[in-house]
Amino acid sequence: MSALATPGGRALSAAVVSAVPLLVFLALLAYFGARAPGFLDPATLILILKQAIPTAVLGVGLSFVVIGGGDDVVAGGIDLSVPSIAVLSAAIIADQLAFHGTGTLAAVLLGFMAAVAAGLCNAVLVTRIGMTPLLATLASSTAFIGFSKLVTANRRIDLSDPLIVTLRDGTVAGLPLGLLAATALIVIAIAAVHRSRWGLRLQAVGGNRDAAVIAGLDARRFVAQSFLIAGVFGGLASLFVLARGSGSTPGVAETLLMETVLATFLGAAFSPRRVVTVWGAALGAILVSALSIGFGSVGVDVFWTGCVKGGLILVVVAAAAVARRSRT
Amino acid sequence: MTEAKAIEPPGDAPDILSLDGIAKAFPGVQALDGATLRVKAGEIHGLIGENGAGKSTLIKILAGLYTPDAGSLTIGGGRVAAGSPDAVHAAGVRFIHQELNLVPHFTVAETIFLGQELAGPLGLRTGAMRRAAERFLKDTLDADIAGHRLVSDLGIAERKLVQIARALIDGKARVVVFDEPTAPLTHAEIDHLFKAIEALGRRGIAMIYVSHYLAEITRICHRVTVLRNGRNAGLLERVGPEDTGRLISLMVGRDIGHLYPRHDHTAGAPWLRVEKLSLAPHYLDVDFEVRRGEIVGLAGLVGSGREELVDSIAGLLAPARGRIGIGGKQLRPGSTAAAARRGLALVPRDRRNDGLVLAQSVADNINLASLDAVSTAGFVRRDAAARRAGESIEALDIRPRAAATAARLLSGGNQQKVVLARGLATGADLFVLDEPTIGVDIGAKAEIYALIERLARDGAAVLISSSDPTELIGLADRILVLLRGRIVVELTRDAADLDRLVALTTGGDATEGQAA
Amino acid sequence: MSRLASLPSLVGSGRAAFARHGFLAVVGLAIVGFAVANPSFLSLANLVNIVSGAVIPLIVGLAMTLVVALGAIDLSVGVALDFGSAFAIVALKDYGVPWYLAVAIGIAGGTLVGVVNALVVVRFRVSAFLGTLGVFFIGGSLQRIFTNGGGPISFRRLPTEYYDLAVGDLYGIPIRILIAAALVVGYFLLLERSALGRKIHAVGQQSRAARVAGLPVGAIVAFGFVCAGATAAVGGLIASANLRMFTPLAGNAYLMDAIAAVFIGASMHRDGRPNVPGTLTGVLFLAMVANGLNLMGLDFNLKDALSGVILVAALAFSVIQHRRRT
Repeated sequence: MSALATPGGRALSAAVVSAVPLLVFLALLAYFGARAPGFLDPATLILILKQAIPTAVLGVGLSFVVIGGGDDVVAGGIDLSVPSIAVLSAAIIADQLAFHGTGTLAAVLLGFMAAVAAGLCNAVLVTRIGMTPLLATLASSTAFIGFSKLVTANRRIDLSDPLIVTLRDGTVAGLPLGLLAATALIVIAIAAVHRSRWGLRLQAVGGNRDAAVIAGLDARRFVAQSFLIAGVFGGLASLFVLARGSGSTPGVAETLLMETVLATFLGAAFSPRRVVTVWGAALGAILVSALSIGFGSVGVDVFWTGCVKGGLILVVVAAAAVARRSRT
Repeated sequence: MTEAKAIEPPGDAPDILSLDGIAKAFPGVQALDGATLRVKAGEIHGLIGENGAGKSTLIKILAGLYTPDAGSLTIGGGRVAAGSPDAVHAAGVRFIHQELNLVPHFTVAETIFLGQELAGPLGLRTGAMRRAAERFLKDTLDADIAGHRLVSDLGIAERKLVQIARALIDGKARVVVFDEPTAPLTHAEIDHLFKAIEALGRRGIAMIYVSHYLAEITRICHRVTVLRNGRNAGLLERVGPEDTGRLISLMVGRDIGHLYPRHDHTAGAPWLRVEKLSLAPHYLDVDFEVRRGEIVGLAGLVGSGREELVDSIAGLLAPARGRIGIGGKQLRPGSTAAAARRGLALVPRDRRNDGLVLAQSVADNINLASLDAVSTAGFVRRDAAARRAGESIEALDIRPRAAATAARLLSGGNQQKVVLARGLATGADLFVLDEPTIGVDIGAKAEIYALIERLARDGAAVLISSSDPTELIGLADRILVLLRGRIVVELTRDAADLDRLVALTTGGDATEGQAA
Repeated sequence: MSRLASLPSLVGSGRAAFARHGFLAVVGLAIVGFAVANPSFLSLANLVNIVSGAVIPLIVGLAMTLVVALGAIDLSVGVALDFGSAFAIVALKDYGVPWYLAVAIGIAGGTLVGVVNALVVVRFRVSAFLGTLGVFFIGGSLQRIFTNGGGPISFRRLPTEYYDLAVGDLYGIPIRILIAAALVVGYFLLLERSALGRKIHAVGQQSRAARVAGLPVGAIVAFGFVCAGATAAVGGLIASANLRMFTPLAGNAYLMDAIAAVFIGASMHRDGRPNVPGTLTGVLFLAMVANGLNLMGLDFNLKDALSGVILVAALAFSVIQHRRRT
């Protein structure tokens, strides 16, 4: 079979092009390491990881939808509402804990139920009503943000609940508890998508819907499930959002959205198959966090980071588009 | 190619599958009219016929995708309900579609086991699936493909084998239907695929092999069913290479000719000039020219590079090397707008997706490429636009005679006339027609042929690319034959007869191919 | 027999008519509802209030109509609006240019955003969504950098002519409404009457068929993004004149409503394509809902939540309507 032609040269140039985002990143990290003493210290690395947690969990949720819907943003799978689901759930939990004297468990449960309902709402809009995921989740996210403002009356709520404090400050064997919990979540998600029957089928639905249908899969069910799971991860992320900010803060959804989309699509650049993966999204989140902290440590104005991140989105996506073109 | 078949014909084995007296009508077309197909266990059964003969309708009825108007389906002695893909699948029929439909970023093992994965308490058993996939490929298809490779890194032939393996992995297949399996493959790859098919035959699996390539049919099939106009035109037993001529005459019949308005053209100045045009692996070093007032035909099977060559000339696909000139001026490659400015009008093969803006009206479609001619200061003069559309509708006899009808509501033939009208409205003098009569009924065909003839008489240069050899012989002054990416021969009108052309395009006439 | 045969088609056409005008029925119901809740909803002063408050969303909606008609989307219209406002205010404040030059500079600012979008989408073949999302973030960040973190740049001594863009009137008609009306007419002529408009719709409905027909698809898409950027900047001029300042990131507030208005409008069209009258209806509907909820004396935050729900419901409704028809 070795005599058969394989698309050699083209694949190579595509690989080079799609490595561009990674190279840009490595260059930036090397720059930080050289310019900012202490950037590569364990303490800074832990800080980077801790800062990355909410984005990583959200990115993992988003990656379920992208994997199940395909990575064409307009026609395929995208869920722009995951960060606003997290913000809504965080608002409910914070409000219940701070003003209604609800027990921790009950408050978290309420927040979760809202997140699952939000995911279900997206699933219905996309698979039953037939809206494109982009339009559906863009619209639903404004509703979720509206609800979270309603719950918190649009003000910041500070929390000193033991669960949140433990999630922020607690350690197990010298490692931050929040980090361990998030790692466990991500490992479970990786197992579900990349190690299970269900996950393989979800990937097939997103990778080539016709192929999945020929294999006898109910594509719509998988898409609906992916939106539900994204909602669940939005709910889980809310705890980490609360822990990072020690409470509910209005207006974080937009920043979270940008970082989540960036982390998830950046992750595709690291995957050997050049597709969005769960672990890629988590890794992407860590890199984005490293960038933010790195820029801070070399004294770059914090306002520049949005510029750099937006530019990275363009570079990542343009590289993917060029790579795809040279592959076909 | 005269060696004995690798596996023995099944002799008097019972029929494992039979489609009897199948009829199916679509609006305006009787696609099948009492067609019959009977296949024995362990045989490789060819199914051939021209475009529109009813092959694909018959296969879709077998697959349960269409419900027949009449007829019965029996598999392994039991009646199977028509129109149920699940019932057919349960009865052990598997389809190897022409489209690969694979997930590009899946591994070979993942692709083969999708839907019936091996999993243990710790999740997917990746290693076990990989080994099982490799073993299955080796044992059943005689192929060595590593299970961890990505589909996107495989060659086309390897993908085909993976596709076959996926259909057969559950071990319940009794009949496998191949639809044009070799279209995109090279000679060496075809040999490999045939090895795999013969390996399947040795396991007693019956196969239905649908193809236009007669050389392959005669090489691999034991028996061949020929369809023509929705009916059985013949069943050949113990087929060998010497039967090519008989197959061709059964396929095409002998009653063509009146469809085509034969006129002699006086060829004018050279107009379209293609020089050393290459886009590996699709077509290589293509040279030819088309003169004004001349109709040049382009023949070649699916996968011969014909589609890509036409796309490149029209500006849809940039060639890797070579030049295209129109009217003595060099054409900027890869731009349809540049080609249109040089007076090229393309009638694309995929009419529904590429030909028309289906949601827009007939009038808007006719005027789309020449809006400036009916506009003043950038605004469309609606009366002028309507008048011109009305004239085109009248002149080309487009039905219904309603300019405001949405283009998607028209029949295929009338849609095609709208595409032609759009080109005429631009004043184009080079027409590139890709499968101009595909999916068009016989009456509209004749009208379209008359239109094409008139184009040439009015001094336009016309290039027709078609998979229908009778059409090319009926219309073209010269025919270029493309075989696996190269123009192997140019036939003049006098030298072109049907048998020879079919033989050349199917690679059935090897000496001619090598001589050119 | 013939009568029987024609019956289903009659029912069908009735349903199609409802599908197309169903949204107007919803609008009517909403008007009745708000009027019952608060009779002053229908007062002339309030109606003028609604229309004049809808001017900037309408302008952004027109820009979005053009881009969506091309089969794309532009998430950076808000950035173009902000750039228009920023460029004009800075030109007036720091360079003391005359008002008409400031208008030209503001529009140039929005055009710049459109040019970047066109480059990213047409030249680099990035999907419109992700490309304009990137521009959205970069544009926001640039505004934060320029204003040292997002503080507004105010300029109280605006030239009267510039200030009048937002608050002046001509023969009793507010100038901002005149500007919006002129843009509505211009966009209507472009999309529904001009040769370019036909090409734009062809590209949006079936891009590949437009390419086969020989249309310069890339140039047409690029024109759409540039024109949308320039148009959104006009909204920025009015916003900055109104408040006599440039408020960074203010434009993003119009994005979602603009998208919603375009899709609501498209669902009302025979072929389901974006169109100017439809967008106008959509914008006025959303403005009316916001105004009606205000008049009902609802809490600001409750209003936000409700309008989010109404947005989702209106879009879902219009998608269902459109699907039922095709």
